[in-house]
Amino acid sequence: MRHLRWWHAGSVFLICLLCMESMAFASGKWTDMIDFSGYIQSDIRYIIEDWRGAKKGDGYEFQKNQNDVVLRLEIFPHDNVQAVIEADLRFYGFNRADSLYNVSDRGTSDPFNLQLDEAYIHVRELFWEWLDLRAGRMVVNWGTVDQFNPTDNISARDFSDPINFSAKVPNQMIELTAYPTDWLTLSLIWVPTFRPAQLPDSAPLGFADFGFDKNGCFATAPAPPLTQKNMDDLYKLFESAGDPCNLNFVEPGMPIVTPDFSMKNSQFGAKAQFLINDFEFSFSYYYGRFSFPVALTAAALIENSQVDPAVLDIKYIVELYYPRMQVAGFDFSYSAEWLFDIGIVGEIAVIFPEQVDFGLKAYWSGAEVANMGNNNVPSTPFPKATVGIDYTFTSWLYMNVMYVRGFFDEFNDIYGVHNYMVMAAELKFFEDELKVRTAAALNVDDTSANINGTVTWIIYPSVEVIADVLWFVGNTEAKDPKDYASKSKFGMRAVGRNVVSLKGKFSW
Amino acid sequence: MTNNIFKALTVCVIFVVLSISGQILAQEKSENAAETKAKPAKISVEEIVKKMDAKISGYDDQYMRISMNIYDVDGKMKSYGMEMYQKGTEKRLVKFTSGEMKGFATLILDRNNVWAYLPAFKKVRRVAATNMKQSLAGSDFTNDDMAVGSWGNDWDITMEKEDEKFYYLKAFPKKGKNITYASALLVVEKGTYYQDHVDYFNEAGEKVKVYFFKNLTDFGLDIKRHQIVGMLDPRTGHRTELFVHEMKNNQGLKDKMFTKRHLQWGR
Repeated sequence: MRHLRWWHAGSVFLICLLCMESMAFASGKWTDMIDFSGYIQSDIRYIIEDWRGAKKGDGYEFQKNQNDVVLRLEIFPHDNVQAVIEADLRFYGFNRADSLYNVSDRGTSDPFNLQLDEAYIHVRELFWEWLDLRAGRMVVNWGTVDQFNPTDNISARDFSDPINFSAKVPNQMIELTAYPTDWLTLSLIWVPTFRPAQLPDSAPLGFADFGFDKNGCFATAPAPPLTQKNMDDLYKLFESAGDPCNLNFVEPGMPIVTPDFSMKNSQFGAKAQFLINDFEFSFSYYYGRFSFPVALTAAALIENSQVDPAVLDIKYIVELYYPRMQVAGFDFSYSAEWLFDIGIVGEIAVIFPEQVDFGLKAYWSGAEVANMGNNNVPSTPFPKATVGIDYTFTSWLYMNVMYVRGFFDEFNDIYGVHNYMVMAAELKFFEDELKVRTAAALNVDDTSANINGTVTWIIYPSVEVIADVLWFVGNTEAKDPKDYASKSKFGMRAVGRNVVSLKGKFSW
Repeated sequence: MTNNIFKALTVCVIFVVLSISGQILAQEKSENAAETKAKPAKISVEEIVKKMDAKISGYDDQYMRISMNIYDVDGKMKSYGMEMYQKGTEKRLVKFTSGEMKGFATLILDRNNVWAYLPAFKKVRRVAATNMKQSLAGSDFTNDDMAVGSWGNDWDITMEKEDEKFYYLKAFPKKGKNITYASALLVVEKGTYYQDHVDYFNEAGEKVKVYFFKNLTDFGLDIKRHQIVGMLDPRTGHRTELFVHEMKNNQGLKDKMFTKRHLQWGR
């Protein structure tokens, strides 16, 4: 009996000891392991024109009324292990309840979604001191230049918000990085499944933008990537349809041929980065797919309208595709002490594309009336490049100028690869409490432009108010409606609307 | 009787010898003391700079937890939390721990080898030397000021004058060193070799910045440093103070901490 009482007392003591240890772990050690940060942002955006929408006259209305709560948790259970979770709870701010049946449904009247932007584990010194592993959902950024990185193809761009053009689409991947010496870094990345770029709401207009005259009658059809001869034949077909006022273009279809989830559709990247004195450069290789859609086939289905037999209903369907590509890249950055300390950066990517041939068929009441096609993307390798310099003139004035060969969405199709000048200037006032940034991208070939101005006011540390304006300069109509290549890069309506935006942001 | 006299004489001789010895010793001591008092006047500028640099960076490594308090001319203040790690005199890692800058980190290996981690872009970006002129978060410190290494390595220094309390050292950037300021006047306290303040001048000879120090504090483990290190713009009255909450030296910080690899790590 005495023996049992001893054992009982000992057990109680041991349990108390364990509890105390847990409490110490919970209150002290646990908080040392985590870093919690994030921000709350409210974004109100207003369209300040009415000529760039899907329908003429659409505009002068709110485009966004969005709230984001972004939460980021970094956990360090060990000196060499880090787990990162970043989630974005987004409220869209527009009532979608269009029937009395769903005004009681909060999800319809106040739509939201939860996005997981990052969820990965990073292990340093895996097996060897010089080896790191990252695995999970993340964004990878390659390249030395600001924004226009032709060598950066691992994570696709997120242009769903044209003002936030630096955003990327997260994806699941595994990254191994080796640091065998202090001047050499080697990276290998495997991305199991393909995720394409996210595009703005206006993107469909890039493939199905019909033009109408002031009477609302058909004037121009979207120019598919056809040769001049094929386009002439296509227009003869339109002319044979009779009075343009009797043509009714219904909602176009835009199916995408998405890659299946087989191993052969994985993506792969490899990079060797060197730092020799003040010169940093790297060689990279990417195998995967172009993340912007390219036109593959199109069909025009012409039927007599069931409402008015004199009217022809025309449904235009364009099928899109993400072509395969291999990319050999080189990038560098250098701080030129001998040249006023200017920063010089550059990237060049040679793209080896999959050949894409475009075909178009037209059916009139079920009968094939047109069947034409030509090459859209040749298999010939082509380069994309960016070279830039940046300079700080004074503590309050910074400028950056770049020459860009090939915009994000250019893939040497019939539109071609164009030349751009990109300039940005940043001014700071009142001890950096007020920052004014202006940026412009000019298409040198067609003189269209994209202009962005941002004013940031840091009211208190962590509290910002940001006003933006985004303006596109250029003709909304192509110079020649029959020529796919003659569209104005920044003038065409597909690139977005002219907007002003006001954001409030609190971060911690 | 002879014995008694001999004994008395012996005592006298011993007494006299002792007295004379004592006087000789006292004289030597006073001569030594006089010599010691005179030593500071004989010290070379190189020695002063070396001792001064040792007070600032004379450790294998340093860690500081800092509040950067920025005061405008109306007295309003805004504050950012920072952590600074330093190895030797050149390698420095500065991280913002609060405010809209939280997560932003800068790695300085030397003036032409500066990298910044931009959390909004999830990217490590090289900072061109020209960008070192920009102010740090709107403070009176530029990125260049934060990259200051050793005075002896970067400046040519001569003695301008001295008084009872201070050495006044005139400094010009060494050839090839692309430093924002045209010249500086370092005021160094005699005996302790702590900097009292530094006046920075532009090409026109105008005083543009004053680097000042306050509150000499014992941080424990034999670490005595100024708790407040500040920069004042004498033309406007605007100032920034770095308030050191915590300092630890010689922690055995590893070289791998001062790499791009570590920059994105966040800790």
